[in-house]
Parts: sequence; structure tokens; C-alpha cells
Amino acid sequence: MIVRRSMVILTSVMATGALTLTACGSRDDKGGNSDSGGGTTLTIGVDAPLSGENSTTGLGIQYGAQIAVDDANKNKLVPGVTFKLKAFDDKAQPATGQSNATAITGDKTAVGAVGPLNSGVAQSMQQVFASANMVEISPSNTNPALTQGKDWQTAKKRPYKTYFRTATTDELQGSFAADYAYNGLKKKKVFVVDDKQTYGAGLAKIFNEQFKKLGGTVVGTDHVNTGDKDFGSLVTKVKSSGADLLYYGGQYDESSLITKQLKDGGVKIPLFGGDGMFASTYIETAGAASEGDLATAVGVPADTLPAAKTFIETYKSKGYKGDYGAYGAYSYDATTAIIKAVKAAVDANDGKVPTDINALRSSVVDNVQKSDFEGISGKVSFDQYGDTTNKQLTVYQVTKGAWKAVKTGTAS
Amino acid sequence: MTGIGPVEPVESPGAGESQDVIGGDGPRWADRWSAWWGGLPPRARGALAATAAALVAAGVLLLTDDPPPEPPATPLPWPANVTAWRYLGPAGLPETDGTRPTSGRFRFAVDVTAGPPVTLQVTGAAFPGLTAHALPHAFTVHAGTTRRVTVEIAVSDCSGLPRNADLPFLDVTLRNARAIQHHSFIFGRAYSEDLFALLRGACDPTSPPRAPRPSGSAGSQNAD
Repeated sequence: MIVRRSMVILTSVMATGALTLTACGSRDDKGGNSDSGGGTTLTIGVDAPLSGENSTTGLGIQYGAQIAVDDANKNKLVPGVTFKLKAFDDKAQPATGQSNATAITGDKTAVGAVGPLNSGVAQSMQQVFASANMVEISPSNTNPALTQGKDWQTAKKRPYKTYFRTATTDELQGSFAADYAYNGLKKKKVFVVDDKQTYGAGLAKIFNEQFKKLGGTVVGTDHVNTGDKDFGSLVTKVKSSGADLLYYGGQYDESSLITKQLKDGGVKIPLFGGDGMFASTYIETAGAASEGDLATAVGVPADTLPAAKTFIETYKSKGYKGDYGAYGAYSYDATTAIIKAVKAAVDANDGKVPTDINALRSSVVDNVQKSDFEGISGKVSFDQYGDTTNKQLTVYQVTKGAWKAVKTGTAS
Repeated sequence: MTGIGPVEPVESPGAGESQDVIGGDGPRWADRWSAWWGGLPPRARGALAATAAALVAAGVLLLTDDPPPEPPATPLPWPANVTAWRYLGPAGLPETDGTRPTSGRFRFAVDVTAGPPVTLQVTGAAFPGLTAHALPHAFTVHAGTTRRVTVEIAVSDCSGLPRNADLPFLDVTLRNARAIQHHSFIFGRAYSEDLFALLRGACDPTSPPRAPRPSGSAGSQNAD
């Protein structure tokens, strides 16, 4: 009976509502149509290595941002505003990244940028964005100095108020890796190698210091160059050192070759690295030699994030290249943070997009700092340095030809 | 799934009862309608008939439309993604009859931000040679609440224990309706200093005795 009576009431309400809407429609026809045309198009730049070295993870950043823009436009997240993503390939080169930053800030429709992938590239871009008072959010930079200054270990000081990141730092990553190596894997003698880049050298240094604090021995250190292909001399050094683990600070392009040549040279020890080598390409390139190797990565496994499910499905269904696993969700959230900041700026301006692009950019910077929402990678907010407050890490190990999570952690 | 479980039939009517009876002691609905309708002037009857026809038409439209889609069910979160720990400080030491303490108590606040209740159990304190457990061993935190807990850490073997390290953590098993996870909660400088003060005191005979700790509410299990 309740259902029957509800249906009568609902039917009456619908009939009344239909009459009312018809009346409103008649009046609106005389006054014009507010939905016809108009609107503002705003640009978000995304910078990452989209070709050559590091492009597997770089493309994951590009398409993570693209899906965020598409979702925002589809859902009309900012009424009256259509967002456009403009992608820039920095080829993992600081100078190219700086040129790209200049191009992005020179675009008078641009309100913010996502990227870059590499910490060393970020160093060359930060000043450009700061001068334009435009927000830059990296989903992957992990070098602590980018947000906390060069003396971050003793006196933290934020260098640029326009720079933010959704990835946590190497202070956490290097320490977490060292603990897992020493206490989890029971490795006592490690050989530490880096690629002399801002990210790789910084991460290796933190790992080195923490491994020794825990009681381990660093039996040797060495450096390689990005782009190197032959690591024969390194293999010889590692072999003679008696190391039971090789730690590498750098990207998958080099580490996938190092581990293959290491195993081919008879050195059957695991290679352990950071988020820069957490990519499907690492396993594809190294093949069976990568079995048992390890990498830390920012965040928790995507399959434990229900909100990321739709994102992953979209990424796959669109046939996007690259690997979303490392930074795709963080790129999505970084882009969404910019879009939500634009919405806050519009809301604060009586629902209109500020006509002065400099005023809009400034407002976006301020509102990104105030970000507080549930992203697909978890809570999105930033501390006083521009660092994410979402400080999760995972240790992955290559198991049967795939990255498998073996330990997760959260810093407070 | 909502977790409501099977729905039991509630107060089913007996076989002889009519489900259409409304106010069984009054006049029949049709009789009352007929009397009321007959008393209306012809113009009013015409207007009401037109309105009724419009309502019926709208009702037909409503019934032939597809029912509105139900909002998608929110998936249950994994427990590690909704649980946070904060270090509050030392909680005092167990009585040690004047000898160097080999265990200490540390206070934490545990938040669960969403989802079903999370049951937690501390299983370790980062380093072999240490044992750790919460008081009580297992405890449950509900979404939207903070629970203060005390964790007792004991030194069982000094060999191999570091005397200083960054970002020590607690190993915790978390369980909710979605999953069981083994997860590490990592703490900053304050916890590191307090933990290694305990370790140095317990393992280094030459180190100065550990200063007395504030007693705090070692056994407090208050939920905020």
C-alpha cells in the first residue's frame, strides 16, 4: 500500500512539476538562452619525457593528466570553463624542461603545469614558474631539496611557493629501502651506484647513510652516466667487492641493463632501486635477469585504491601508451588539484573566470596550497613546504615476471 | 553488499486478513467517493476530470520511463589506506627494581577516517632484537574516531641493534571487512629519539642512565 500511495503522490508532483517547467520555459524563450556558446578555455601544461629515455613513466604522467582533464570537462567541474591539456616533451633534459616551462608560462591561457618526471629537470623549471607566479605540481619528483631547500637535513626552507608535489620524498624512500634491505632481506654488504643525476645521486646517498646506520656495510660505490649501455667494468667491481646487494639510484633505462649484465657476468645478487625503475619496461628489458630485483615506489598498490579502478580502466580502454603504474594516479590528482583551484578562484569571483590571467594564476597558487580532497591516490593536501601529506610507500619485487608488492608503509 | 544480512519476515499477516482494508470500521471508500462526487456542481466536476486525466497521463509517462539508476555502491577501503598513526610521546617505564630498563612504553593516536571498523595488532618494531605489542594486543578503531594506544617495546637481543637510525616504524596487522594487511607506520624524529634512548640505555653499559620519563597515561585506552 505504501508503494501504491507513494506512486500517486509522485505522479501528482511530476504533473505539477511538468506544468511549472513548461511555464518557466515560455518565459525563458523570451529572455534568451544562457547555455548557448560562450565559455572560457584554460590550458594546463604537462611536461615529462615523452620520447626516449624515461618515456615509459613520462607517458604515464601525460595520460594521467589527460584523463583528469577529460573527466573535469565531462563533469563540468568548473561551469563555463573547458580545460585543454598541452603536452611538452622534455626528453629528461633540464635545458629542454626549462624551455618548456618558458613556453607554458608564455601561454596566456595557461593556469598551471603538471610535471616534470625528473628532479634534475624540475630544478631548472622551478624559477621559471615562480617568476610567472604559476603553479607547478610534480607527480613524481622525490628529491627533498626541491621543496625543503638544499639544507633540508638541518634547516628546512621552502625555495618556491609555486612548486608542489603529490609524490613523497627520497628521505622516506631511501630510508624505507635501506631498512628492507638490511632487516627484511638480511643483506649486510651493499654496493651503491648512482647515475650522477639530482634524483639518483640524492636517493643513493640517503640509502647509503641509512644502511650504514642500521649496521650494514657499504663495500663499494660507483657512478654511471645516463645513456650508458655497457656496464662491464661496473660488473667486475661489484663481483670483486663481495656485495650481496646492489643498490642503484637512477632510472630503469640503465638499471635494466645493469642487472642483465650483472647476472650474465655470474653475479647473482638482487638489484634494488627507487621509483625511477618501477616500470614495466624494466622487466621487459632485463627479462629473467630481473627476477628477484626490487624497487620502492611512492604510494600504495593501485589495486588497493578503489577510486583508481575507473582511472585504470579508462587508461587501458583508451589504449594509452606508457605505464600508469608508477605515477599515473598521482598525475591525475595533481591535475585535479589545479582544476579545483581554478574552480575556487572562479567561485570567489562571483562565478566568473578572472579576466586578468596573472590574478587567476596567483589565486590558483593560493588555492592549490589549500587543497583538501580525496583523490584517486588518496587524500590530496600539501604541507607548508608544498610536499604531499600522503606519505605512502611500497616495496615491490619482481616475482614471476611482474612487480609484486612485498611491503607497504605510511609515514606520519 | 551492505552487510545487513538476511532479512527476516516481520509480522506477516494471517491468511484470513485482507491487506486492502484501511480503517475497516468506516464507510467503504467507493461509497464515500460516490456521495462526494455527486454533490459537486457540473463545472467543478469537469475541471477535476481534466486534472485527473493530466495526472494519469503523467503517471503513465513516469511508469514507462526507466527507473533512475541507483548510485554506485562505494567500495570498501583497504584498511591501510584509511588508518593513520601519530606519535604522542613516551608513556613511562615499567618498574625495573633499579636496573637498566629493557623495555619502554610509547603512546600513539590511531585514526580511522572511513569505512568499516579496523582491528589492529602491533607485531614488531622495525628491528630484530625488539618485541612490540599494544596494550591490549588487539584493538578496534571505528571510522571517524581517534583511539589512543600504548605500545610496549622490549629489547630481547642487543646484538645487531642499531644505536641510531632514521624513521623507525611499527609493524602492524590491520583487518577490516575488506582485507587483512601487514603495514608499517613510520614516525619522525621524536619517536626515533625516544626509541633509541631506550635501546642505548638497555644495550650500552657506558651510556648514561636514561632520564625518568613522564608517566603519562600508560594504560589509557580512551577513545577521543
